[in-house]
Amino acid sequence: MRALVIDDSRAMRRIVSGILEGLGYEIQQAGHGREGLDVLDGGWLPDLVCVDWNMPVMDGLQFVSAVRSNPTWRSVTIMMVTSESEHTQIVRALAAGAHEYVIKPFTADAIRDKLALLGLLPQEVAL
Amino acid sequence: MTDFQDTGERRRTSDAPLLITELIDEETVQSIAQEAWSALIGDDEFLVPLPGGLPEDAVSSWVEVVGPWTGAVVLTCGRATAEELSRCLLAEHAPPVLDAEDVADGMGELANVVGGNVKAVLPGPSVLGLPEVGAAPEAGVDALRVDLLWRGQSLTITVQGSAGALTDQQNNPQKNEVPL
Repeated sequence: MRALVIDDSRAMRRIVSGILEGLGYEIQQAGHGREGLDVLDGGWLPDLVCVDWNMPVMDGLQFVSAVRSNPTWRSVTIMMVTSESEHTQIVRALAAGAHEYVIKPFTADAIRDKLALLGLLPQEVAL
Repeated sequence: MTDFQDTGERRRTSDAPLLITELIDEETVQSIAQEAWSALIGDDEFLVPLPGGLPEDAVSSWVEVVGPWTGAVVLTCGRATAEELSRCLLAEHAPPVLDAEDVADGMGELANVVGGNVKAVLPGPSVLGLPEVGAAPEAGVDALRVDLLWRGQSLTITVQGSAGALTDQQNNPQKNEVPL
């Protein structure tokens, strides 16, 4: 399975990528939404995108809207991983087309639980 | 966005400004920080609410909050503490040698996580700015400072009103990605 991790924080990209790699995911990283779209435009279609909200150039909400407006990328599952924890923000993200929402700070187990809910835990891990 | 919940509450320019000490207390800030430390730094990492002197080489990271209350959430500690925090944050993903960008990035992310969760308990809707790192913006009178010890090293978290928190970002709204 493939995952694209988009966050302007190098540290957070490494942490999220490390968790997903440990679950067997093949990872690509991007530093903001525009870079994330470039990865998709390049034909690397992931099963999962983990995207931060507050980023320079293109934020996570704009990224979600852009992905959802392109039928080619409809199959991509999007999980927002962000410190934006207000209820209204969560509703906005889900309304824009995100499937799940993880609030920072999070644990590896929280990510794993969300992936299980989404049916995106690799089979050998889920067993 | 039709989903946006409007409480119907309105403020006028003639209203007295909201003071941070009336909106949040030290215990709440400490609790938010402790949750961030436990999740990001380590399960057994504790913040002890004791004052200690900050070293002269102290660095700060902060995020701005713009909304009914406008200001910044500032994390300050010594450089050695900042490096240790960044290494803990990265854990097994840390490179053998942390460069200045790694430390700034780690400090920024900690401020981002603490600031985002502080914003959540303040009146909204508010916009969260991008993390900045450098010399601490000066705190004005509207400030709540929490002194903590982590592994015996001092750090402070200050939630301070806009009088001491104005930066370029406040004059550059496109850097704040979340529209009001």
